[in-house]
Parts: sequence; C-alpha cells; structure tokens
Amino acid sequence: MADRLFSSAVWLSAALVAAALLWIVGDLARLGLSHISLEFIFSAPENAGRSGGIGPILVSTLLIIGVTLAVALPLGLMVAVWLAEFTRRGNRLSNQIRLALDVMAGIPSIVFGLFGNAFFSIYLGMGFSILSGGLTLAVMILPVFIRTCEIGLTAVDNSWRQGAEALGMTRTSAVWHILLPAAAPAISAGLILGIGRATAETAALIFTSGYVDRMPESLLDSGRALAVHIYDLSMNVTGGDPAAHASALVLIALIILFNLLAQGFSDRWLYRRLAT
Amino acid sequence: MIFTLYKNRDRNKRISIRRLATLVLLLVFVPGISTATEHLSLTGSSTVAPLALEIAKRFEKLNPGIRIDVQTGGSSRGINDARRGLADIGMVSRALKQSETDLTAHTIATDGIGIILHSDNPVDQLSDDQIRAIYTGKIANWRELGGEDRGITVVNKAEGRSTLELFLHYFGLRNSQIKARVIIGDNQQGIKTVAGNPGAIGYVSIGTAEYEEQRGVSIKRPIVNGVEASIATVRSGDFPLSRPLNLVTKGELTDLAKRFILFAQSAQVDDLVEGQFFVSRQH
Repeated sequence: MADRLFSSAVWLSAALVAAALLWIVGDLARLGLSHISLEFIFSAPENAGRSGGIGPILVSTLLIIGVTLAVALPLGLMVAVWLAEFTRRGNRLSNQIRLALDVMAGIPSIVFGLFGNAFFSIYLGMGFSILSGGLTLAVMILPVFIRTCEIGLTAVDNSWRQGAEALGMTRTSAVWHILLPAAAPAISAGLILGIGRATAETAALIFTSGYVDRMPESLLDSGRALAVHIYDLSMNVTGGDPAAHASALVLIALIILFNLLAQGFSDRWLYRRLAT
Repeated sequence: MIFTLYKNRDRNKRISIRRLATLVLLLVFVPGISTATEHLSLTGSSTVAPLALEIAKRFEKLNPGIRIDVQTGGSSRGINDARRGLADIGMVSRALKQSETDLTAHTIATDGIGIILHSDNPVDQLSDDQIRAIYTGKIANWRELGGEDRGITVVNKAEGRSTLELFLHYFGLRNSQIKARVIIGDNQQGIKTVAGNPGAIGYVSIGTAEYEEQRGVSIKRPIVNGVEASIATVRSGDFPLSRPLNLVTKGELTDLAKRFILFAQSAQVDDLVEGQFFVSRQH
C-alpha cells in the first residue's frame, strides 16, 4: 500500500513537471506559432519589432554565445582541472576559490550586467558591443560551469589516475586523455546549464551588448540578444505580444538545439578519445 | 603507434587553434576598421527607446553612411550619460528638473498618464482627492466610492520610473506615503496587472491604455476630475497629467546631433510617434 502510494506520488510529480513545460510551450505555440515563418526568422525587425523579423537579433545572439563559449569553455575547464587535480583536498587557497565561485554563482545577473558595463564597456573601452556582452556572460556562467566540471573530475575513480601513472603518462596527457573524457557527462551538464543561462539572459546584456537591432558587422558592434528583444517587446512595446511569443518560441528552440549540440559534442569528442 | 597518432592529432589541433585565433582576430578588428562612418549614440529611457530607434532607422535610411546606436537603461541613465559624455544624446521621459539645467531638452513627443481600472469595476469617475486617498491607503475598499464591496489593490510604479515621478509630482505625494500592493515596471506590466485583478487601480501611458482597450483587454480609463483621459485631450493640453518625451544634450551640439534632433522633431516622424502610441508635436 505504502509502496503503491509512493510510486504514484513519484509518477504524479514527474507528470506535473512535464505538464508545466508542456503548458508553457503550448501557450507560446498557441499565441506565437502563427507569427513564425522563414521570413520572420531571417528578416530585420520593423516598427519596434511588431512587424518584420528577428534575423539580426538571431545573429547577435549566436555571436554573443560564441564569444561566451570561446572564453568560458577553455578557462572553465582549466580552473576545474586545477581545483580537482592540481591541489590537495583541504588546501586553503582552493577552498577559498571554491567559496568565491559558489558566492559568484548566486549573484543576480543584473550585477554582472553592471560590472560588465563598468569594466568591459567603459574601462576597457569596448563600448556597447557583442564582445562586451559575451565576456560578461562568460564571467557569469563560469562559476557554475567550473564547479560542475570539478565535481565531475573529482568523481572519477582514483584507480584511473593510478593506471595512468603506472603507464608512465604525464600529468597533462592523463588529464587530457583519461580524466576529462571520463568527466564528459558532468562537463556536458555544466555546458548545458551555462548555455541555457546565457541564452536566456536579459539583465546582464541590456547594459553590455545593448539594444541596437541592426545586423552586426563585427564583434565590436552593439547587438540585441533574443532575450532582450522579448523583454522589450513584452514590456515596452504596445502591441508587441505576438512577436514576443514568436521570438520566445525561437529562443526555446535555440536552447533545445544548443543542448543537443552540447550533448553530441561531449559524447563524440570526449568519449571517442576515451575509446582509443 | 598510439603515441605518434596522438602527436599528429596534437599538431593538427595546434594548427586549427591558430586558425581559429586568426579568424577571431579578423572578426574583431577588420570590419571595425573598414566601417569609417559618422556615428551618433543615444542612451536612456526605455519608454523613449523604441521610438528613438525607429526615428534613427528612418534617419539612417535618408542619410547613408551615418550610424545611430540606441541603448536603454532608464531616464536617469540618459541624464547621466549625456552629462558625462558617454552618449551624444540622452533620452528622458519627463521634463528636466531644477538640478538638471546644465542640459538642454528637445521634446519629440508627449505621453499622457491615465488612471486605469479593471473593466468590471462599476466606478467610472474619480477626483484627484479620491485618487490621493486611495494611493495613501485612506480609502481601501471600492464600496466607499460607490463601487462593489471589494478591496482596492493599489498598483504603483517602481522607484526610478519617470511615470512614478510625474504621478507623485502631480498629486503632491511622496513615494513613502503610498501604500502599494503591487509594484510594477513598465506600462505593459501595469496593464497586465490591472486586467488580471478586478479590484486593482494603476496608472499607465494613455496611448498604450487606448490601444489595449481597443484590443479587448479588460481595463478602462475613468474620468479624472471631469477630464477624459485620451490622446485627443493630451494633445489639446486639456489633460493635466502628461509628460514630454525629451532628447537631452549637454553643451554645444555636433552638426550630426543637431540634424538628428531637428529631424526627430519634424512632421516627418509623426507617423512613427503615433505608431508608438504617443502624442506627436504640433507643427
């Protein structure tokens, strides 16, 4: 009896969470699907985004995410490796860095936006630019990414390290060929969390990559991200709701696509390395 | 065997990393050099930004080779950036204050602020005193105003919003006196809040309210102190609770800034102003 009660509670909870997602996506699809077309995806916005499309905004979004990943991925992996492999457990410095990272992970994104505006845009003179926005997002997603990767690395069984040592592998190649591939699921999870957060970010980008909805010509141009566009349409633009819903649908599709790519990337690139 | 394989891979990887680095550098710098255009930057009010962006696009179309970047962040940012020279032009959705006389305001449109109620609310006339009493918590039930027995949900704007400052100034209130149940940011949020709560009272841009009402959103504008809140009464000047939408500048204007401001005030952009549900200037 208790067993049946428990399993029905488990099923019910899972169904509830799935229903919440379906509800959101269904609602967006109902309100926005009729607005989506190839033209909407490729053309430039008109009349404050009420008509026209989201072409330049999609390009800016992809460029911002590109900058974010180009910085956060190598930097994050290296810090995670340092924390997990190059420091002793209980080391004071690494504990303090862990604490700093955990605190940073909890900072609201608007704070990163203001920091990015002050540091990248004004102090380093990048102005409102895709570069400034991407770097700000990189700083924002690094803590969670590093900690997830580190936990993944720590979870790798010690016998793998001993095996590598016994074979006379250098530390570098042990990390590169054995430990990182073994931590691939955690890395991919960290990547998915980070990309998800970055793609959906508004507050950190309004003051860094900005509001300009023109097609960007370089990384030093200001470019409006999809999430900023949705925010503007639903909050500042009267009659912008249909376009906002359609853009939100595209954003969700984009996040799903990124998740699949990240998963495929970690599966193929890192697992194959482990197999050879 | 395995090791030589790795070595080759590493070499390939090194080459591909170098290629990637070159590509990134090219992306960053080359286009930056090639686009030597005249450039104008605007920052400030999120209310003015969509309008300024549309005006800027039309101006760019008429004047090839000129680029105008519009950024948001609120009126205080517009003031601040214009003052510190971080932007050529600031956008401010209110009249300038006494402490801001170092800046020059160029009005490009007017926005009226009207009281909104849920459309099911039978109350359709309010006086300034009644509104003041509602917002300070002295009247807390619609029954006291001849309506149904329902608690009043006071919807106020967030600190820093120009609409809030205008509202407080007009009614002679301080923000600390207001007993708000809900704090909102933008007009759309205000309309959504009031439309979803039959006991709510809020204040938003009249153009936005008119548009949403026509679309069947459940809100209405009560007559305040005997004046109907509409685009027509704002333009004629009969409606007292209105604010100018300004471009602000500091000191001597560049030629380009001067041309843009004149364009933004001309009849050539009336359709854009009305397209954003604001009230265009009288020409």
